[in-house]
Amino acid sequence: MRTQPVNPSAPTGVVLNIQRYCSHDGPGIRTNVFLKGCSLRCKWCGNPESIAFKPELSYDPGRCTGKQACGLCLKAPFPDGAFYVVEGATDDKVHVNWDLAGDCDEAQASLCPTGALEMFGKRMTVDEVLEEVEKDESFYRSTGGGLTLSGGECLLQPDFSAALLEGAHERGINTAIETACNVPWKFVEKVLPHVDTVLHDHKLTIPERHKKWTGVSNERILANFKKAYEMFPDIDFVTRTPLIPGVNADEEHIRAVLAFIRPHKNVIDYELLPYHRFGLGKYLSLGVVYELDDYKTPSDDLVKHLQSIIDEAFGRNSSTTQSQK
Amino acid sequence: MPQESGHASSQRRIAIMVGAGHVPGINAVIMGAAKAAGMLGWEMVGIRDGFDGLLYPERYRDGGLLTLSPELVESLDPTAAGLLGQAPRVDPFHVRRVNEDDMVEEVDMSDELLKRLQSEDIDAVISVVGGRGLSILYKLHRKGLNAVCVPRSIENEIASTMVSFGFNSALSFTIELLGRVREAARAARKIAVVEVLGEQAGWLALQAGIAVGADAVLIPEIPCDLRAVASGLQDKVTGRRPYGLVVVAEGATFTEAPKAEAKPLSLKASLSPLATGEASEHVIRRSGYAAEKVAHELQLLIAHEIFPLVMGPWVRGGAPTAVDRQLGMAYGAGAVRAVKAGSYGSMVAFVPPDVKFVPLAQAINKVRTVPADSEFMKIARSLGIFLGREL
Repeated sequence: MRTQPVNPSAPTGVVLNIQRYCSHDGPGIRTNVFLKGCSLRCKWCGNPESIAFKPELSYDPGRCTGKQACGLCLKAPFPDGAFYVVEGATDDKVHVNWDLAGDCDEAQASLCPTGALEMFGKRMTVDEVLEEVEKDESFYRSTGGGLTLSGGECLLQPDFSAALLEGAHERGINTAIETACNVPWKFVEKVLPHVDTVLHDHKLTIPERHKKWTGVSNERILANFKKAYEMFPDIDFVTRTPLIPGVNADEEHIRAVLAFIRPHKNVIDYELLPYHRFGLGKYLSLGVVYELDDYKTPSDDLVKHLQSIIDEAFGRNSSTTQSQK
Repeated sequence: MPQESGHASSQRRIAIMVGAGHVPGINAVIMGAAKAAGMLGWEMVGIRDGFDGLLYPERYRDGGLLTLSPELVESLDPTAAGLLGQAPRVDPFHVRRVNEDDMVEEVDMSDELLKRLQSEDIDAVISVVGGRGLSILYKLHRKGLNAVCVPRSIENEIASTMVSFGFNSALSFTIELLGRVREAARAARKIAVVEVLGEQAGWLALQAGIAVGADAVLIPEIPCDLRAVASGLQDKVTGRRPYGLVVVAEGATFTEAPKAEAKPLSLKASLSPLATGEASEHVIRRSGYAAEKVAHELQLLIAHEIFPLVMGPWVRGGAPTAVDRQLGMAYGAGAVRAVKAGSYGSMVAFVPPDVKFVPLAQAINKVRTVPADSEFMKIARSLGIFLGREL
């Protein structure tokens, strides 16, 4: 991978991860590029490492060899008190005081010889990202796949996202974005001209409840969706709901979303994403408290029932949809 | 003890704030500090809701600062809490807010906090905080805040002091509730498994268990072999004594390898000095996990009926005990002495028979666990209380 930008004036962005061979975020086989930074704080978030805009420290205790074998992070240039060994513990593994270690930078993390300390996220140029994306061009051609920008919230880096997507189009690569759309409209209209498919979240219907669970009301989000449906008729929109029992996994929410999207013919599908706990380990490596502690995953029967309501609204045979999923 | 060089006593204005997390009778600490400051001729103000009173003065009719006048302090109820309020999060380095573009973000408001203190002519802050609060105050102190902390904890895990404010009240109430549970278990001829607070240290479970004559006490410090506990309970729970009481701290650990479905369900431990990772035995589970696990697994081994109960956060409420009332006044007055001595960046600590000031650096990144040779361990063993695996 090149380290110097080919075009120094091109925008750069903070990229969390580039994941190849994805098949659930748009048509065909795709490369997902996860950008850092989010404007919501959903209590169920499965990607806590994507929330902060800046690259941030992570710690994998499984890779730490301990004070005796290493102990580098227990002294300068690491911040005083940021790392320590527990007196009387059965091992001499290093522990992290996240309140004091949060300011560690990439240069400090790179001193860790085992990779126990790493940074989530790095600044990249458009060309660097596209060079990675292009590696699977043959798969895109054969499957109708392409590039999907995800996050975090990819629209929070509008110049970088627009340049990436435009560059992909110039290379004949299909483009998609995954967004919650809680950004000013000027960000949306900068990016959407370069997008083929928009996968957008519809988390909660009632503004007060949306604020309780995500930090902000959904009024601007819904206005953005509506404007996007109308101003970009050639884009395929796919609505998604992360299903969380006790929050939004109920008929009322599903029917309200259907009532919102069905008048718009370019909203081609509505997908349910049953809540999972896969993100929990990431909270630990970031030193962040997981706020949705005691919630369970939705039952298969509930998901099937809600899916059948969606299938009926889209005029589909429910059993066919289930077998495809 | 740090040198007592500090400021002269004339005409100072200092502040007191309370960190996140409730314990009974915080007013006692506030009263102690305000009275001691008054004796020196200083003005004492209380910051409302953690640091919010300083960061968001526009939200408060009194500008977010409450003058703790002698008249107000005289009329204050030392058994109550809530005079200054609390904020759910007290970290000025990561203040969550919604910006002008209606987007959620975390911002560093520590500079603003220090400026506000300066503009209010407040030259020192006494903070009544728990373990994590000590780290945040340490960071603020390194940035220039003249900070003195008072340790406040339900589970008494804060290092470098023998007792934190709030522990004795929680212990007293836990003992009362356990006594009632024991009576209920006796009447129902069942074995009660009661989970009590204690994510990192087993003081509350052990001391309360001793007081009520529990059959077994399971604490984080001693990985527990549930087969051994079951075997011991079968000997104690007989036809003539057909009931039992097992006290389990919420952070109790177990000797067997965790089952796939029994993986940690909570990651609160990411903030715990004892947590090293998902596979760590020190990862703390959600409230109720320990009681459910112990009751379920013992039930597979014992014919007698077992029922789990979770004491949870109930013990955080109510009135403080006589010990805590006294300790609160002592800690409040001690914190003012630390300010007078210029012992900033310190924590007031009870090191019998003295109240001392220890540097915050010595209090953070440590957990005051129950030592293996603790007198309480010896007492429990001599009373026939099983401690996890030592039967």
